[in-house]
Amino acid sequence: MSLIELRHVTKTYRKGEHVVTPLADVTLDVEKAEFFVLVGPSGSGKTTLLNLIAAIDRPDSGSIRVGDVELGTSSSSRLADWRAEHVGYVFQQANLVPVLTAYENVELPLYLFGLSAAERHRRVALALEAVGLADRATHLPKQLSGGQEQRVAIARAIVADPEILVADEPTGNLDHESAEGVLELLSRLHLERKKTVVMVTHDPRAARFGTRRMVLDKGILREEAAAR
Amino acid sequence: MKLAKLVGKNLRRRPMRTALTVLGVASAMLLFVLVESLSAGLDHALSGSESARTLIVYRENRYCPQTSFLPQWYGERIAKLPGVASVLPVKVYLNNCRASLDLVAFQGAPAEELLATRGLTLEAGAGERFVREKDSALVGRAFAARKNLAVGDNFRFGNIHVKVVGIFASDEPVEEGVILTHLEFLQRAGPVNRLGTVTQFEVKIDDATRAEAISAQIDDVLVGNTVLMSVQERVKEFGVFRTLGFRASHVAQLVVVESLALSLAGGALGFGLALLIIRFAHVSIGSEGVAIEFVTSPRLALLGLGVATVCGILASLAPAVRSARAEIVVSLRSA
Repeated sequence: MSLIELRHVTKTYRKGEHVVTPLADVTLDVEKAEFFVLVGPSGSGKTTLLNLIAAIDRPDSGSIRVGDVELGTSSSSRLADWRAEHVGYVFQQANLVPVLTAYENVELPLYLFGLSAAERHRRVALALEAVGLADRATHLPKQLSGGQEQRVAIARAIVADPEILVADEPTGNLDHESAEGVLELLSRLHLERKKTVVMVTHDPRAARFGTRRMVLDKGILREEAAAR
Repeated sequence: MKLAKLVGKNLRRRPMRTALTVLGVASAMLLFVLVESLSAGLDHALSGSESARTLIVYRENRYCPQTSFLPQWYGERIAKLPGVASVLPVKVYLNNCRASLDLVAFQGAPAEELLATRGLTLEAGAGERFVREKDSALVGRAFAARKNLAVGDNFRFGNIHVKVVGIFASDEPVEEGVILTHLEFLQRAGPVNRLGTVTQFEVKIDDATRAEAISAQIDDVLVGNTVLMSVQERVKEFGVFRTLGFRASHVAQLVVVESLALSLAGGALGFGLALLIIRFAHVSIGSEGVAIEFVTSPRLALLGLGVATVCGILASLAPAVRSARAEIVVSLRSA
């Protein structure tokens, strides 16, 4: 059984007077420890699909099952708890809390687990070490470069040791060098920690880091062989 | 959960917003405390037992003491009326006839009658000296505190120059804000010699009158508006929180706790400022010759903190519910 199973998922939303259907009867399987990349032009529904997998949005119809949890029918509180435990989300923009230091931003998800201060400190230190920013722990987001901010966001996403990492255009706002660094980091997390990574991008260079790639265009999902 | 820790960090590290919000609440609380203490002062001013049976006779249609001139001999006629226990002719001299935060009110009356009629208790000085020396004055303890006057001091206001020979407390709290002098001295002291005229007669009778103090309420829209603004600018941040696994109820708690913290901080600051103003600025509200002191009490402190707490919670409810109910993806799209 696949870790992530989408069956006949449809999602619509209103855009002004029009009803847009970015996902129509989409079926998808993502295996455990897979680095899955979804590519496609802007507005093709990639982020919508990612949000459904991360359980921050609900489908209009169809079924989304991750592990043994049916996301579409779970309560909001249950989904929140599930997200905290199973999903790390990396946004296109780092979306760090501006008044918290790098350390405090990474620590944020751990508040939900009732851990001791010492255990939180251990995990935050490990996460920052993993993204190569242990020496930037006390910096505020405004004191970090774009690439460093995104690394902090990745540290925040992995600090609770979730099995799934979802990344929405994680290199979209970064220069080439920073983008390469972030993609290498995601790839390393996938290979060394056996994380299941689901990444959305429209950048072909980013797409080559995946072990499997699919294209979403006008509601049609097409699978391609991984470039690497 | 470490929500309080998060709230503390957020408030400390957004100093401008926090300061503006706290100052907004403090301003509201300052106003509330001043109005409530003034209300208490008015209650206090009207609480004297003698006020229940004292009538003040003014010249008709002259609401400012400065413009009320009555022939002094009217007093003899009034005294003969049935039911009148006593009549005290009083000359009043004010620095300001309108509402004033620094009222200076002289009252001149025959010295011995004054001491006999009014329930004065000398806290310092001697009544005999007041009777004996025509340019002497007895100063109400509230006014003395406001102007930092003591027995032996000279007090000058315009053309009036008096020697302070006594500080008094009174059964009529309103009297503690005035300076008592000899009638003739005050009649001669102004720019125009007013010998033979008085401002008013204080007539003791058996009728009872009573007045209700005016009460006031804190306008909480500011607080509400401020909290609403602080939430709106953080819609995306709350969306991120919820993506990380925070429940809607956690976000709502963050909003409420933050609002409560700001309201209590602002309330405490406003109350403290009000106390400082009342304690050290020595202000009183004067109107038509009556000085009303600001009166604070532990009850007012508790009431103020209670109001701040309730306002903080009420003002945060709508934004808290809105933040909690907002769809995560919509929150994340906001600027």
